[in-house]
Amino acid sequence: MAGKIIADTIETGAGADISTSYVVNGSAKAWASWNGAGTLAVNDSLNLSSISDLGTGNYQMNFSSSLNNDDYAYNFTGNGRAESSRFLHSAMDYTVATGSLQMYWSGSLNSSWGVAYCDTNASLAVIHGDLA
Amino acid sequence: MQTPSFKGTKLFDRLCWAKEWLEPVQSDYRVVFEDSIDECAKILVPDPNWMACAMQGGILPPVWVYHELAKDEAQPDFKKHTRGYLLHETEPMPAMTEEEAIEYLILKDCPADVVANFDKGNRKTLVICRKEQLPQQRTWRNAWRINQDLAA
Repeated sequence: MAGKIIADTIETGAGADISTSYVVNGSAKAWASWNGAGTLAVNDSLNLSSISDLGTGNYQMNFSSSLNNDDYAYNFTGNGRAESSRFLHSAMDYTVATGSLQMYWSGSLNSSWGVAYCDTNASLAVIHGDLA
Repeated sequence: MQTPSFKGTKLFDRLCWAKEWLEPVQSDYRVVFEDSIDECAKILVPDPNWMACAMQGGILPPVWVYHELAKDEAQPDFKKHTRGYLLHETEPMPAMTEEEAIEYLILKDCPADVVANFDKGNRKTLVICRKEQLPQQRTWRNAWRINQDLAA
């Protein structure tokens, strides 16, 4: 790299300071946005090598820079539904590894019916943790 | 744009540089594979930012690095990676063509047993195709199988 700044703290103009370790440890280590309807396409991402489309509502993020362990934190959400009559209920992890994260998305046909796996038009995921 | 000398630079920092400076490359290639006779065909979709890194060169580590980390993780007493330096200190790969990048991605992100045995059974279990060759609707997605005419 052309240059490097080494600092233990960052201070605002008002005098409030924070340790740079907060920034290093607290920043997202991977994120991705993809369209799970039709032919899956990745919209944008950081630290992703690919997404595996494993079936209806079933995706796997594959990371470029692996996480240090499989205890990292993740958050999923969806925007819109591939099937217009479905309500997106939740997304949950299925298999967690340092180099990949498999997840399921589920929804129901209406607010009182049973839940089934479903695709979403916009799938969003954020990963926090330590890198290998 | 010339890739800076990333000797000793962590892989994540290299990826952040690429995110800032390289145009994403949306590949039309898709990898379709089957890793279980009881499950549907699966589709590997390359990430556009990763594809830009692969085609730029000097950013991504050799694929054997990921295989070494996978071996470590497969150990029963695995708690965390102790050889993460392989990602950061191994000489990065030179620039790849789009086709070479897809081959690298297959070795990295497809299940190892699929890659090792995809042409040894009585049906193909891995093919590279273009996205327009895939069904455009996800109807009966969980029943999709590889078209063996396509695999020939």
